[in-house]
Amino acid sequence: MAVFTRTTKNLILKIDEFFDNIELGLLVFREGVKAYLEKDMETFNRHIRKVELLESNADKLQRSIENEMITHSILPQHRSEVSSLIDSLDEIIDTIKSSLNEFSIEMPDIPASLNHNFVSIMEASVCAGEELIPAARAYFKSPYTVREKLLKVYYFESETDKVSRNTTRIIFQEMKDLDLAHKAHLRYIIHHIENISDNAQKAADLLSAMAIKIVM
Amino acid sequence: MILLFLISGLFLGWSLGANDAANVFGSAVGSKMVSFRKAAIIASIFVILGAVIQGAGASDTLGRLGAVNAIGGSFTVALAAAITVYIMTKFGLPVSTTQAIVGAIIGWNLFTGNHTDGRTLTRIVSTWISGPVLGAVFAVLLYIILKTIKKNSSLHLIRFESYIRTGLLIVGAFGAYSLGANNIANVMGVFVPAFNLQDLNMGLFTLSSAQQLFLLGGLAIAAGILTYSKKVMETVGNNIVELSSEAALVTVLALTMVLFIFSSTWLSSVFIKFGLPPIPMVPVSSSQVIIGCVIGIGLYKGARNINFRILGEISAGWIATPIFSGLLAFVSLFFVKNIFGIEVGRLTESVPDVTIQNKQATLANPHISDIMQYLILGLLVTGIIVLLYYYLLERKKKIEFQKSEEKFWRNIK
Repeated sequence: MAVFTRTTKNLILKIDEFFDNIELGLLVFREGVKAYLEKDMETFNRHIRKVELLESNADKLQRSIENEMITHSILPQHRSEVSSLIDSLDEIIDTIKSSLNEFSIEMPDIPASLNHNFVSIMEASVCAGEELIPAARAYFKSPYTVREKLLKVYYFESETDKVSRNTTRIIFQEMKDLDLAHKAHLRYIIHHIENISDNAQKAADLLSAMAIKIVM
Repeated sequence: MILLFLISGLFLGWSLGANDAANVFGSAVGSKMVSFRKAAIIASIFVILGAVIQGAGASDTLGRLGAVNAIGGSFTVALAAAITVYIMTKFGLPVSTTQAIVGAIIGWNLFTGNHTDGRTLTRIVSTWISGPVLGAVFAVLLYIILKTIKKNSSLHLIRFESYIRTGLLIVGAFGAYSLGANNIANVMGVFVPAFNLQDLNMGLFTLSSAQQLFLLGGLAIAAGILTYSKKVMETVGNNIVELSSEAALVTVLALTMVLFIFSSTWLSSVFIKFGLPPIPMVPVSSSQVIIGCVIGIGLYKGARNINFRILGEISAGWIATPIFSGLLAFVSLFFVKNIFGIEVGRLTESVPDVTIQNKQATLANPHISDIMQYLILGLLVTGIIVLLYYYLLERKKKIEFQKSEEKFWRNIK
């Protein structure tokens, strides 16, 4: 009987800790990209190490949560969906880690005139991820409010698309002095920052369906 | 020889365990909230307690329908009902043991020329309708209440589910108790007028003749639950409509309430005290009530996800059961009487009175009481050993799992 053991409490704590990890990962990503754009490599490297730690912890928590749900037969009817949700949230922190690593390895040369655009893309993309976490938490505590919370995720995802489209247009149509390889590289980096909001949208779609099922 | 006649009753008890008792935990097991093994052990213990402590009420009503006054008749009637239930269970249909035994008793009445008490029959048959309707009403009301609590409580989903799981076990235990109290009449009711055993002193308490029979019947039901109820549990749980965990709790609670209402003499006396009509003590069909509950919730949720084909098959089973059981009893009684030359019953002048029937009961050889005492003690000890074995098996599994978990996390580090 799960209620008489610590299993339920532990699992709730683990899920909360997992969400905290994703939220922190998004914050660190924001600061990391800003540090890179400001050429503060020491702070940037510190943020990379922090994200790696958070990603590894999130992986462990993910395995542990799934394991406990199966072995103690917790949420038998929603288990596969909850696992998928945790998996798609884990995708976000994986994307954050790989994006920061790409900055670190490929050292993209971002023209100073584009700094503001890159910050805008990153802000919109991170906001999409950040708005997803309260919605995911709400699924467990007040599923009736999930869908209204998800509206912001969709809004920031479309904002990300808009800003990145404009930036790509500026890179390819207005910056004649950049060579094609440089332009392609910048587009590739933008695409990676965008992936965060894309993953947030995928998770939001899943969460939306899960919320309907649970309130019906 | 006289104890051999009880075998058909025990077979019927086993069939009831395999079929009707599954209704109590079917929705919990079907929704995967409770494991089959845990459900089976809890149901077995509480069904025996219910049968022994509170089994007398409904048994009297069945006796009024037709007090089978010869041990050969009791044997044949119980056997006909048991075979009917077994065949239906074999096809995975949640058939009613009440209908089977009522059909078989009417078959006996027809064969021996006894009068079937119309009022008692009407009372029993009316519960075949009022039971599921009451179950559906209770289920919908409880479902609305639970949904409202869930919406307003902002409990964590995992904690809410753990409360539901605990609730399922507690309500399931109460349901199994009520089932034992209400449905033991189906299993052993026909034997009560034909047996008169000495009181059995168990140290802490004493078991009367009827209670000894009920204990044996309860043990047979428990055997049925443990060995053969899994298939029906899955039918009830998932086939008619897919149940959520809270719907599972609600169906079991509604079933328990209906069973309790129709077997509680205390509740009936409370009704009389307040100037209300008494509640009839009638063995209700748990299969019909649980299906009423499941349909009630299905209709409340919009009736889109109800599997009407399976519902049709079940309804056909309900009509076929008493007819098939009655015919089988009639034909079997003919063979037992004319081929084996065993007395199957005699014509009684008036509407049978159970208390008089009890006084006229066959006086058993004093040795039979001793044999019964050893039999009951032997079965109880076997039951305790089986439970202990299950417990140790579970414990061993848990320890092995813990070890493998520790190893896994060590390797990851």
